[in-house]
Amino acid sequence: MRNRYVVCYDIANQKRWRQVYRIMRGFGDAVQYSVFCCDLSPSERMLMIMALTEVMNQREDRVMVVDIGPADGRGKACIEALGKPLAPNSSERITVVV
Amino acid sequence: MDALATTPELIPARMLNEYVYCPRLFYLEYVQREWATNLDVLQGRYVHRRVDQAAGRVPRAEAVTAEVAIHARSVEIGSEELGAVAVIDVLESDDGQLVPVDYKKGSAPDLPEGAWEPERIQVCLQGLLLRANGYVSNYGVIYYVGDKTRVRVEFTPALVTRTKQLLADARALAVAGSLPPPLVNSNKCPRCSLVGICLPDELNHVQQVTGSRPTAETAHGSDKAGSVAPDVAPARREIRRLFPARDDNKAVYVQGQGYTLGLRGATLEIRDKGQAVDAVRLFEVSQLNIFGNVQLSAQALRALASQEIPILHLSYGGWLQAVTAPPPHKNIELRCRQFQAAADPAFCLKLAKALVGGKIRNSRLLLRRNGRRLPPEALSQLVALRDLVERGTSLAELLGVEGSAAREYFRYFSTMFKLPPDDAPPFDFTGRNRRPPKDPINALLSFGYSLLVKEMVVAVLGVGFDPYLGFYHQPRYGRPALALDLMEEFRPLVADSVVITVINNGEIGPDDFLQRGEAVALLPRARKVFIEAFERRLDQLVTHPVFGYQVSYRRVFEIQARLLARTLTGEIPRYIPFVTR
Ligand code: SF4
Repeated sequence: MRNRYVVCYDIANQKRWRQVYRIMRGFGDAVQYSVFCCDLSPSERMLMIMALTEVMNQREDRVMVVDIGPADGRGKACIEALGKPLAPNSSERITVVV
Repeated sequence: MDALATTPELIPARMLNEYVYCPRLFYLEYVQREWATNLDVLQGRYVHRRVDQAAGRVPRAEAVTAEVAIHARSVEIGSEELGAVAVIDVLESDDGQLVPVDYKKGSAPDLPEGAWEPERIQVCLQGLLLRANGYVSNYGVIYYVGDKTRVRVEFTPALVTRTKQLLADARALAVAGSLPPPLVNSNKCPRCSLVGICLPDELNHVQQVTGSRPTAETAHGSDKAGSVAPDVAPARREIRRLFPARDDNKAVYVQGQGYTLGLRGATLEIRDKGQAVDAVRLFEVSQLNIFGNVQLSAQALRALASQEIPILHLSYGGWLQAVTAPPPHKNIELRCRQFQAAADPAFCLKLAKALVGGKIRNSRLLLRRNGRRLPPEALSQLVALRDLVERGTSLAELLGVEGSAAREYFRYFSTMFKLPPDDAPPFDFTGRNRRPPKDPINALLSFGYSLLVKEMVVAVLGVGFDPYLGFYHQPRYGRPALALDLMEEFRPLVADSVVITVINNGEIGPDDFLQRGEAVALLPRARKVFIEAFERRLDQLVTHPVFGYQVSYRRVFEIQARLLARTLTGEIPRYIPFVTR
């Protein structure tokens, strides 16, 4: 089962920032500037961390991974958006039919 | 059992570690080339990310003296004489000898020896390989990344003897070519990456309820009992379900004609005339289904292949036309057994009885649960036919009985639809017809079965079968006979039940069909609704009738395919169909 994570990053250099952004798009939904919301299993979380470590500069950049709990429990309940509503998390669909 | 493995090539030290952990794990990985990524495997890869890049130089044995300092990474070393090979994470020098350092994730265990036995044996074998190549090596180090601890492992005579013995045992097992039994109630299993493939508790349980552990020779054919599996009582002792109950990933279906699929970063983008209509993250995709005229970019195809995501190419009507899957599973042993067993009429008959019997039971169950104003003879007819199955003596006879059972079942099928207020049946349905289906219910049933076929094809491919060679359904060009075999017991439980659900919930109504000449087809909106309902059904948790735990239908398909595989390799005496109660 997946947990929901809020991932935010400070990346010192534009080129790496774009790389990090591209990686993160593969793991979750962009919710704010440099903030993603991701539903990940422990293995997927590991994959994300592996991918990020690959491009980050350990001295200049920082990525914060906040685990907010089971994706279909607390993870869903504890984010509140003021102003513009948040788009529903795309990983909640069980199937995609178009 | 005939050995498919002749003298094995050099055994990797990593595999010896697996052998010490569990001989069955070694056999599954090394001989059958089963492989699964779990969290442990990924974490292991993560801690090795630096040491896996070869670096540094290692001088020849004569040149290693107390003065030379060596620090090399990812050093490959082998020896024909030992019959082993290893990749040493880090190789260091210490006063004229070489010290292999093995990286492990996690923290050093609290043990007098300082490290687990499989790890000590693995590093000792690395030392022996160094010695066989002329170096001096008297101890090794296990480095636990979690707590950054170095544990020193002396290559004592006792450890060396044990390592050599285990290496010889592992080789003997590979040569013997027979899969060792699963561990019983071991706490090693929950941590094992192959637990979902091995199914240790499940196999032990099946062996218990079906009688003695079979030997390979009585696995099929020569077992004369030949009766349909009677009900097997659910587990008395609780069986651990050691793998996830359901698959978190999603199936993607593209039916929009003229749509294109491309890659954008790590997401699969679905476009209509260049405009994105939807996007899915690659790692969330479990399978991709494309109906009819849909284009897939070469780039997307490669990305899907590299993630081992199967692509099912279906005609617009749902006929499976092609499957793009990773190269066939390396478990060639299983396919050999499949071909042997398919040539054995006694085995085919016995299995066919189990499959047809399972289907009739499940059909009866569905009618009993959902039928309204059902005449009592409807159910007793099916019981009688089921008994006939048990007495059947040929596949042709079974086909006949199955046909009668299907006619009986479909005669009463419409009793399962909720009647609208005015008591008029919403759909006129009196029996099954196909190619083309001539009424809405038949159109839904046909579509449901075609989804079920492709689902079963995915399951049997994943286990390592050839989907085109069946036991009950005889091979015919382009027909995935094995998938058709295994889906029999699920036709009522999955496909038919979805048809009843979408009609009774009013999700699909009379306006959702298109009549064209004789044929009736579903309109796109209804297809989407139906696929979603089908997927919901696959995702639904059911209690496994034999193992007693909750698991989704999609997993059940895989478990049943694995049980069939274990029947073929002789680990369990007969296939037990999935019959709900
Ligand atoms: S699940 Fe248990 S018995 Fe099966 S291979 Fe793994 S450790 Fe061995």
